[in-house]
Amino acid sequence: MDTATQKKWDAASRNFDFISWGDDQRLGPHKRRLFSKMNGATFMLAAGTGNDFRFFPPGHSVIAIDISAKMLERAAKKAAEYEGKIELRQMDVCRLEFGDNTFDTIVTVCTFCSVPKPVAGLRELYRVLKPGGQILMFEHVRSRIGPLGVFLDLMTPLSRRVGPDLNRDTVGNVLKAGFRIRREENVYLDIVKIIEGVKP
Amino acid sequence: MLFTIGDYLAGMLVGAATALGVRIVIWPGMDMVIAMLVGMGLGMAVHIVLGLVLGPAIGMFEAMIPASLIGMYGGMFFAMRDSMAAGSRTLAAALAVGAVFGAIVVAGVHFYDQTLRGAVVDTGE
Repeated sequence: MDTATQKKWDAASRNFDFISWGDDQRLGPHKRRLFSKMNGATFMLAAGTGNDFRFFPPGHSVIAIDISAKMLERAAKKAAEYEGKIELRQMDVCRLEFGDNTFDTIVTVCTFCSVPKPVAGLRELYRVLKPGGQILMFEHVRSRIGPLGVFLDLMTPLSRRVGPDLNRDTVGNVLKAGFRIRREENVYLDIVKIIEGVKP
Repeated sequence: MLFTIGDYLAGMLVGAATALGVRIVIWPGMDMVIAMLVGMGLGMAVHIVLGLVLGPAIGMFEAMIPASLIGMYGGMFFAMRDSMAAGSRTLAAALAVGAVFGAIVVAGVHFYDQTLRGAVVDTGE
């Protein structure tokens, strides 16, 4: 287990719901639209405090993991309120305790801004996804707009200390891991994106 | 709608705060290049502080991205003006110009967002 990352997110869990309130209100409808495509055995990476469970369509069976035990403690209540089944487990994305080709759908929300080795993590997701399975991602990435991209580069050394990197090329990383991009959509500027991938 | 109003109010606040900071630190006759660099640094500091305060209410990216542009460019423009003592003679006038600048930047970001929003790749599957 990556203890440095674990400690960072344990600390972040205390104020996570407060800090993300505005984002949840504004971006929630986009997440709900994305998650409506969930089907079959579903795996959620980086559940956080469980804020996104409310955007899942009812009736699904989901295994949700997070590296932070403190995050999962807070997520437990929200998992219990979901009209379906959510099983929470503490796990590192780079060492998933699942066999090959286990899941039909994988869901991530603002996760690959924080995974220290994003391509390794995505390759692990590729391994546990069934052929033809889908990965539904709601992520923020580095902007390709000149001054905004530079700004995100400048802010990353600060943001990384308490939370995510702001300048990741997650679309490129998804391709490097072997997925095919089915859909890519800008949600806010070219920074917040929906990325839908498929395992060929 | 409320979030849109919040975006504009946040932008106006960051613009006015940047203008205030620059008015306090930059004096007429200061070397313009130094003034612009100081103004930019000050504007960046203002945007980080206010962006983090406003982010939980209106969304982190919606707060931080316009604020970064207002702080960086507003800080430079206001410092250029104040080093030349060229306009906005009163503090109230300087704050008003800052607020207007902030609102214009927010409008620009909203317009750009609408332009960029939507599918970039869609295989239709």
